[in-house]
Amino acid sequence: MSHPEFLYIGKPGSRKEDYRFLTGHGRYLDDIEVPGALHACFVRSPHAHARIVSIDIDAAKTMPGVLTIVTGRELSEWTGKLRLAPPIDGLHPVEMTTLPVDRVRFQGDPVACIVATDRYLAEDAAEQVMVDYEMLEAVTDMWQALEPGAPKVDETLPSNLLSHQSYAHGDLTARKREAHRVIESTFSQHRQTHIPIETRGCIAIWDQGREHLSFHVGCQAPHPYRTQLAARLRLPETQVTVISPDVGGAFGQKITLYREELTVAALARHLKRPVRWREDRLENLTASAQAREDFCRTRAAVDADGRLLGLELEILEDFGAYCFYPGNYLARVVAMILTGPYKVQDYAFDVKVVLTNKVGNAPMRAPMSVTSWVMEGTMDAIARELGRDPVEIRRINMLSAADLPYTMATKEVLADITPRETLEAGLAAIDYAGFRARQTEARRTGRYLGLGICAVVESTTYGSAFYKAAGIPGSGHEAAWVRIEPTGVVNASVGLGPTGQGYETTMANAVAEGLGVSPQQIRIHLGNTDIAPYGMGSRGARGGTAGGGTLYLCALDARQKVIAIAAKMLGIPDPALLRLIDGRVERREGSEWTPTHVGLADIARTAYLDPTALPQGMSPGLEFHKTYDPPPMTYSNATHFCEVEVDTATGGIRLSRYLVAEDCGTLLSPTVVEGQQHGAIAMGLSGALFEHVQYDETGQNLSGSFADYLVATAHELPNFEILPMHTPNRLTPAGLKGMAEGGVMGAIGAVTNAVNDALAPFGVVVNRQPLTPMYLRDLLRGKIQEPVAK
Amino acid sequence: MNKVALSLRVNGESHDVVVEPRKLLSDALREDCRLTGTHVGCEHGVCGACTVLVDGRPVRSCLSFAVQAAGHEITTIEAVAQGGQLSALQQALHEEHGLQCGFCTPGIVMTFEAFLRENPDPSEAQIREALSGNLCRCTGYQNIVAAIKKAAAQMQGGGGYVTP
Repeated sequence: MSHPEFLYIGKPGSRKEDYRFLTGHGRYLDDIEVPGALHACFVRSPHAHARIVSIDIDAAKTMPGVLTIVTGRELSEWTGKLRLAPPIDGLHPVEMTTLPVDRVRFQGDPVACIVATDRYLAEDAAEQVMVDYEMLEAVTDMWQALEPGAPKVDETLPSNLLSHQSYAHGDLTARKREAHRVIESTFSQHRQTHIPIETRGCIAIWDQGREHLSFHVGCQAPHPYRTQLAARLRLPETQVTVISPDVGGAFGQKITLYREELTVAALARHLKRPVRWREDRLENLTASAQAREDFCRTRAAVDADGRLLGLELEILEDFGAYCFYPGNYLARVVAMILTGPYKVQDYAFDVKVVLTNKVGNAPMRAPMSVTSWVMEGTMDAIARELGRDPVEIRRINMLSAADLPYTMATKEVLADITPRETLEAGLAAIDYAGFRARQTEARRTGRYLGLGICAVVESTTYGSAFYKAAGIPGSGHEAAWVRIEPTGVVNASVGLGPTGQGYETTMANAVAEGLGVSPQQIRIHLGNTDIAPYGMGSRGARGGTAGGGTLYLCALDARQKVIAIAAKMLGIPDPALLRLIDGRVERREGSEWTPTHVGLADIARTAYLDPTALPQGMSPGLEFHKTYDPPPMTYSNATHFCEVEVDTATGGIRLSRYLVAEDCGTLLSPTVVEGQQHGAIAMGLSGALFEHVQYDETGQNLSGSFADYLVATAHELPNFEILPMHTPNRLTPAGLKGMAEGGVMGAIGAVTNAVNDALAPFGVVVNRQPLTPMYLRDLLRGKIQEPVAK
Repeated sequence: MNKVALSLRVNGESHDVVVEPRKLLSDALREDCRLTGTHVGCEHGVCGACTVLVDGRPVRSCLSFAVQAAGHEITTIEAVAQGGQLSALQQALHEEHGLQCGFCTPGIVMTFEAFLRENPDPSEAQIREALSGNLCRCTGYQNIVAAIKKAAAQMQGGGGYVTP
C-alpha cells in the first residue's frame, strides 16, 4: 500500500476523552446507577487446596438485607461449563464449572455468592457462611508440581503438566559440537498481577419481558466476551448485550469471562432483578487473574568471536490453578519470537506449562514480556564469558536491512524492522563511550554504575494466520463501520474494547485520514456489542493496526462513494480530479487544487434525502462496513538503554537515565503513542524491581495489599527519553505497526542487564527478578569489603 | 446497624443523608451525594484515587467515615472546574497528556490543587515525592509531573487558577 502525506494522523494533539475524566464525569462501572440493584459478595476459600465437605448458609440467610445465597451446585444447573480443548498436540483439555462444587484450588477460590440489598450487608452475611473444608496438600512451586506424587491441582489430568511442546529447526547438535563455547544462562521471572486502578466488577440487568440480558462490564474484548457469556448462560447471542463503559485500566485482566461475572449474570436472571458486583482490592490481589512466573534457560552455541551458531530455549511456566486461556497461549509466543533481532537458524525450544495452587494466569501487558530479557541477557552472557563488549556481540549477530525480510527459525517472517538503526542511534544518544569512561572513573571511588541494553522486537498485531501457525485458537481479524449522517457528521465504530488508550482520539484520526474530514467531526462509539461490529477486541498491541487499520480502510470506502457523488453533483466525469479535505471537496485544475462549493454535508443530504440525484445504480445512504485480517504478524522494534547506580552497601538501585529508540511505524497519534511508551516502560520497571505476588508453601497469598504488593510510584521512576525512529510497514493500511507492550519487554531486560553491568566487578550475575535490595545483598555478601562493625 | 442522619457540606451544598456510622466517606459521596467523580481504588489508603479536600486539605475519603465529615467543608473533583472552565492544573494535564484511563486522575487533581497552593514553586523532586501518594498504572507519571510543573508556572504568572 502506498503511504501518501498524511493530513490527520501522525500529528501531536490532546485527547478527546480527557474533559470528562478531568472533571469527574467519566462513567466507570460503579458510576452507573441502576435503581433497585442488588449487591453480590463472594465467600472465598481460606485454603489453597481443600475438599468442600459442606456449606452451611442457614445463619447467613437470615442476616439483614440478604436475598439469596448460591453455591457451585445451583450454578451448575443454571450455567454451562467452560471447556478448553483446542486440538493442540501436548495440551490437555480442561474444564471448569462456574463455581467449584466439591474442591477449591487456591486461596481465594469463590465457593458461594451472597446477594443482598447493599454491599456492606452482603459482606456481613458472607462472614456467616460456614464452609466445612477437608484440607488437602497444596503445591505452589512449579518444580515440585512436576515431581511424581505431587498433589494434583486438576484431578482430571494425568499430572500437573498441562502443556508440553517442543520444536527444532536446523541442526543444533551439530552447532553445539562445532561451537567454541556453549554458554548457558537462566532467567526467573516472578509472579505478578495487572493492578488496574479500577478493580473488576459488573452489573447484570435481566429484562424478563424481552428475555434479554444487559451486562455492563469493563472489558477489552466485548464481542468474544458476549459469545462466551451467552453460551455459558445457554442463551442465543441475540439475547445478550455486553456494554463496556469507561474502564479504569485492564492490562489483560479484563479480556475473558470470569467466574464471578458469570455468577452475577446467572443470579440476575434467576432473581429477575439487577445484580451488581465490584471486587475489592484484596480480592483483586488474591483472586483476580495473575501473570508471568516463568523460568527460562538458554544454551547459546557461539564461535570464538561471539557469533551465535545455534540457540536452545527451555521454558517452564507456572499457570496457576485454572485455565481461562489455553495453557500454551503465553509461553508459546515467547518461544516463537525469542531470537527477534538476531540471525540464527539453528534453534530449538521446549516449553512446559504446569498447574499449581495459585490464581489462574492471564496475559498481562506483554504476555511475552520475558522474551527480550532472555535474548539480551543471553547476549550479555556471551559478552561476559568471552570478555567482549556487549555492543560488539550485538553488532556481530544483529539483522541488517539487507537481511530483511528474514524468516526466523520458527518460520515467522520479520520485515520492515530496524533493530540495527535503533541500536546505533541509541548508543550515540546515550554516549556509550562516555558512559564507559564515567563507569571506570566511578568504580575507582567505590561507586557502581551500570548500563543495560535491550533490543526488542515486539510482536504487535496477530493476524489469523499467526494463531493458526502457533496452534493457538482465535482470529486476528477486526471489523468497523463508518456512517456519514445526513448532516455530514460522522459516526464510526470498531470492535475494540477501550480501557484508557485514547481510542476516541486515535480512531477518529484513522477515520479522518481515510475519509478526508477533520477528526472533530467524527465520533467513535465503542464497547457496546449492539452498536459495535463483531471484532476481536483489544489484546496484545492490535488496537492500532487491526482497529485503526480497519477503520481507515472502511473510511477509504466511504471516501470513494462520497467522491463519486461529488463528481455527479459537480458534473466532473473523472473522480480522480476530486479530493476531500476537512470535509470540503476540491478539484484539480492543472497542477492546482481549488475549492468547490460542495461539502460533505451537501453530499450526505443528497445521499440520504435525494437519492434520485445519485449516480445511476448507486444505493442511497452513506453507511459502510469493513472487516480486515492483518498480515500473520506485524512487528515494531526498539532498543532500550537503562543506566543505574547500585549501592553495594544496601543493595538499592537508583535509575539514573532511561532512553529508548523506537520504530513503531506510522503513528495514529504521536502523543498517545508516547504515553503508551511511558506506561509500558513504567510497568516493566515496576515489575522487575518491586511487584511480586508471593505465596508461602501452604499456598497462602502473602501479597494481599498495596503495602505488600509494591507498585512503582513517581518517586522511584525516572523520566524516559524517547528517540522516535518510525518507518512504515509496507503491508498494512497506512503503514501501521502497533505498539504498547514492547516497553515492558525492553524495560525488564534493560534494567537487569544494567544491574549486571554495575555488579560485574564482583563476579556476580543477577538472574532472577524482582531485583530487590535483599536479593542483591545476598549476592554481594562476602564479595565486597564490608565496613567493619565497631 | 442503626443508621444516623447527618448533613454533609459538599462543594458548597448541603446533603442530608442517612447512613450507617460505618459507611465510608467515599461511599457516602458516591452513593448518597451522587458525586461519582471520587473514585475508589484500594480502600486501604494507598492508591490515592479517592482523595478529596476536607477544609481545604487532602484526605483519603476511603479512610474516613461519613459521620466524621459532618461539620466540615468537603470539596470533590466535580467542583474544580468552574463554569465549564478547567483549572490551570486540569488544563495542563490535558495538554501534557497526563492521563490515560482517567481513573486515578480526580485523586491527583485534588491532591495537587491543595499542594500547589502550599507549594507554588515546587521542584521536580518535591512534585515526585508528593505524587508518590497516588498510584497511576497507565502513564509512568512523567506527563503528570510535566503538567504539574506547567500548572505551577502558570499559576505563578497569575494564570487561570480556579479556587474551589
